[in-house]
Amino acid sequence: MGTQPVADTEEAKWQKVLYERQPFPDNYVDRRFLEELRKNIHARKYQYWAVVFESSVVIQQLCSVCVFVVIWWYMDEGLLAPQWLFGTGLASSLIGYVLFDLIDGGEGRKKSGRTRWADLKSALVFITFTYGFSPVLKTLTESVSTDTIYAMSVFMLLGHLIFFDYGANAAIVSSTLSLNMAIFASVCLASRLPRSLHAFIMVTFAIQIFALWPMLQKKLKACTPRSYVGVTLLFAFSALGGLLSISAVGAVLFALLLVSISCLCPFYLTRLQLFKENIHGPWDEAEIKEDLSRFLS
Amino acid sequence: MEDEQSFSDICGGRLALQRRYYSPSCREFCISCPRLSLRSLTAVTCTVWLAAYGLFTLCENSIILSAAIFITLLGLLGYLHFVKIDQETLLIIDSLGIQMTSSYASGKESTTFIEMGKVKDVIINEGIYMQKVIYYLCILLKDPVEPHGISQVVPVFQSAKPRLDCLIEVYRSCQEVLAHQKATSASP
Amino acid sequence: MGYKSWGGDMNASAGARMPHEGDKDAARACLRLPGLERCVRGTLGRGRRAARAPLGAGPSRGNAGSRRKWGSCPAARPRQGWGPGAASAVVRSGRPDAVPDPMPTPPPESAARGNSRVPGMVLKAFFPTCCASADSGLLVGRWVPEQTSAVVLAVVHFPFIPIQVKELLARVQQASQVGVAVLGTWCHRRQDAEESLGHFLEGLGAIFSHEPWLQLCRERGSKFWSCKATRRQAPTCPGAPGEDQVMLVFYDQRKVLLSQLHPPVALPDHQAGDAVAGAGGLAAVFDTVARSEELFRSDRFDEGPVRLSHWQSEGVEASILAELAKRASGPICLLLGGLLSLVSAASACRVLQLWPLSFIWSKLSTCEQLRHRLEQLTFVFSTQKAENPTQLMRKANVLVSVLLDVALGLALLSWLHGKDRIGHLAEALVPVADHVAEELQHLLQWLMGAPAGLKMNRALDQVLGRFFLYHLHLWISYIHLMSPFIERILWHVGLSACLGLTVALSILSDIIALLTFHIYCFYVYGARLYCLKICGLSSLWRLFRGKKWNVLRQRVDSCSYDLDQLFIGTLLFTILLFLLPTTALYYLVFTLLRLLVVAVQGLIHVLVDLINSLPLYSLGLRLCRPYRLAAGVKFRVLEHEADRPLRLLMQINPLPFSHVIRTYRLPSCGCHPTHSWGSLCRKLFFGELIYPWRQKGDKRD
Repeated sequence: MGTQPVADTEEAKWQKVLYERQPFPDNYVDRRFLEELRKNIHARKYQYWAVVFESSVVIQQLCSVCVFVVIWWYMDEGLLAPQWLFGTGLASSLIGYVLFDLIDGGEGRKKSGRTRWADLKSALVFITFTYGFSPVLKTLTESVSTDTIYAMSVFMLLGHLIFFDYGANAAIVSSTLSLNMAIFASVCLASRLPRSLHAFIMVTFAIQIFALWPMLQKKLKACTPRSYVGVTLLFAFSALGGLLSISAVGAVLFALLLVSISCLCPFYLTRLQLFKENIHGPWDEAEIKEDLSRFLS
Repeated sequence: MEDEQSFSDICGGRLALQRRYYSPSCREFCISCPRLSLRSLTAVTCTVWLAAYGLFTLCENSIILSAAIFITLLGLLGYLHFVKIDQETLLIIDSLGIQMTSSYASGKESTTFIEMGKVKDVIINEGIYMQKVIYYLCILLKDPVEPHGISQVVPVFQSAKPRLDCLIEVYRSCQEVLAHQKATSASP
Repeated sequence: MGYKSWGGDMNASAGARMPHEGDKDAARACLRLPGLERCVRGTLGRGRRAARAPLGAGPSRGNAGSRRKWGSCPAARPRQGWGPGAASAVVRSGRPDAVPDPMPTPPPESAARGNSRVPGMVLKAFFPTCCASADSGLLVGRWVPEQTSAVVLAVVHFPFIPIQVKELLARVQQASQVGVAVLGTWCHRRQDAEESLGHFLEGLGAIFSHEPWLQLCRERGSKFWSCKATRRQAPTCPGAPGEDQVMLVFYDQRKVLLSQLHPPVALPDHQAGDAVAGAGGLAAVFDTVARSEELFRSDRFDEGPVRLSHWQSEGVEASILAELAKRASGPICLLLGGLLSLVSAASACRVLQLWPLSFIWSKLSTCEQLRHRLEQLTFVFSTQKAENPTQLMRKANVLVSVLLDVALGLALLSWLHGKDRIGHLAEALVPVADHVAEELQHLLQWLMGAPAGLKMNRALDQVLGRFFLYHLHLWISYIHLMSPFIERILWHVGLSACLGLTVALSILSDIIALLTFHIYCFYVYGARLYCLKICGLSSLWRLFRGKKWNVLRQRVDSCSYDLDQLFIGTLLFTILLFLLPTTALYYLVFTLLRLLVVAVQGLIHVLVDLINSLPLYSLGLRLCRPYRLAAGVKFRVLEHEADRPLRLLMQINPLPFSHVIRTYRLPSCGCHPTHSWGSLCRKLFFGELIYPWRQKGDKRD
């Protein structure tokens, strides 16, 4: 900044241009310096409970993974009869299917244009393929060591959690990749079970809990938030309960994780917003604000 | 007339430059490189034979020893006949051309002759050789297509690699001959 | 006795009496005869040479019908008194008023020695070594003005008639398109008292006008020569001397005539006269000597009007064998050419082009080799003459290569058929094949277990292993079926070695290919399976990440899949991924085996290629007659004395062996590897089938 006290006494007013010869040095600024500076114009004010509500999506996914692992553990130990799981899964799938249409009164189905016949076909394809490949699946990882299988599954489930579409608009989100990783993990784990029937039922259950359950929950959240919160809490408690029956330490850790994600993290978010300091001004990159899709018609 | 001077090459070894002045239009420069040193020969032979002996103690096969002797002999013969250059000669004859001869330690001689019509100039150039920058004398050849272009650069005394003082002597003499050649060829 | 030079009233320089030894009367005796056609041949002492006066008149008694060396005429007494009138009538070649010597007196003798002090143009005189000891005479050759060099081709000895010399030169010029002319005089002093000869020689400049006029002189018993070149015209630029420095370059005429420069200089089309002057430098010298054959036709035993000294003057080189071969080659070529055309017509007939046969022919390397040989032999025995020396060399190379091939083949044949070796071979063949099959079986069983500690998928392992074992079993049964006929087949195949060693080696390569056909089949199965797996995996991996391959844009794009597509895709991906190690191992093992077989076949091919393409005739020529193939020339400075002209010896620098092979290499069958190492590794990784040896007719991918 120039130390030019004589600036204002000059007759010519200083203009913010460089293409005219002015009696001021090139780096001179006057009183109007930085008067166009704006701070935090796009900062959002978060409400604590709203954020907690939004974090329930993450809670849901964590619980899905936990439930899946618990069920697999029970099947592996032989404590759970596969037919029972198959029956329960089938029943809950049917209930969820009916609920799916009832919630918004059939509007979603009309909008997407998907017929019930197509749904039936998909289901048949699933069942057939899985049943057909289950003997192959069973012997797939015979020669691979258990540690490798566990490591791969953990890695894949972690990837599933990272890439899942929680509703945020980020580049890392890839719903396809997350679903594929979950199925890969389920196939790896299913191949460790004693018989091919177990493998088939495990893979079917994985599809139900990783592909169909999040669809239903998303709809619930959009249409009936209250029941959604209830379902989430129920789901979380059942996951904790299941985990508790296997390992107390694990249950405690999991509970801590859930609490920190649902309660602690939103608190931090709202607290840290106070320290936000974004600077905006005419020096920012230009952003196109209007909708240009009308040119594409 | 003939005279001999002693110079050194880029590594510090001793070179001898012999100049023969047959006539104003014909001169010959002969650089003799240092001979094969007994020390390096002994060192290489001992290394090879020690290695062979080591292998022999491992394998207990006497063919290794005879193979080592055979290899050493062949290697020495091959080195003398194909690699070790004893003398390099440059003969410049006004209006005929420039001839470069390399004589190997086994007596073999390899000659290259460049006609005067193809020679554009003889210059001393700098070049990067491994980690050093050295001076070398080279002959520029004319490009048949483009009158002012150069089609090839032929370095001289490549294995002797004398230093600048020696090169300057040769360069001066060559330039005298070439100047005379250019003067006479320019006139009808 | 001295000859009176023609026109006794010539001025002193020309009128000096010619000194010479021996019986000088003989010259005079010859002059009186009216027949002006023949030169006077003076008599000289036996074995001595001296300058001869260019006199007209009758036949020399001394030389009539003699086949002795020049200058060895018996002492015939020359007839006296040829008048100046007669002489001048004889000698004047169309210049009636040339009696007084119009030429200015050349500078005194002292200046003739050494080079002038003023630096001027250096004139190069190329002098043949065979003429260095010739008698005095005229220098005949070609003047190349661009390089100021004079190429001396021959020496015309005294006595001669200028008209006849000019006729001879005109004849040579017409026949060879080379502008030969009289360049100067050559003086070889045998005795000390021959100074007058010098003046006499200078006078000849009047008759044969040439610019510049070269005068070479050699003392008896001295190695050093004296040369001078004088220009008659006034110097065009002031300061340029009337006399040039002369540099003598000796060359061996015979070697320069027979040699061929590499790379051959492209000379412009022949036109009359000196049109070939455009050739650069030394190529002009070579070309001049090579095309002046007409001049070298006559040797000293011919009774021609003019006596020349050149490389063939001791007798024209000829060889009876070469002549006979030339005569006989015509009908032999016709006969063999006809036979070969019959054979090629037979091989091109339609029956053999039908699909299964044509496929087999294209795969067998023996057929390729036979076809190649047929082509080469047709080329050699064609009745067309070779257009240029390169084609001649090619024909010779092909012929020598074929002969060597057949000789080696016959040697192999005699070795095979002696001591019942074929029987031993046939007996050993079937057990060897059995042994190979057994080893393969062990290998497969090892793979079906836990090879190298790797854990394979047991089910897939068993399936693949059993499949390959079944094939092996089929193969062994086939071999056993064939075993009674093996000896007979081998015997017939051995006969084919008389067509050449290359044919025998090609047959060997084909036999190896046939015997290892099962390995090839295994390799193809393994490679196809692996390739399918890799393709599937790469496509499903893209699905795993939510992308797909855009065929139009040749790039990877994102794609939104349906749920069922995702599910099935991931399932298949998992299955393929876990089955990959098993397939990969089988593929690896069979590929290695196949590469081994290919390497052995490749070695045989390389050997065949070597025999096919090595230019043996050129190599032999380079070994025995190195001057025939010249890469250039080299100069050596001969003994030098100050103030004397510089003497150089020009020798042929032969072509190095590597250049000989590179220039004259015969085209091979064209079976060479088409892949670089990088692309080979890439093909192996992706499971594409490799065909390392492509035949000439195959399409390139």
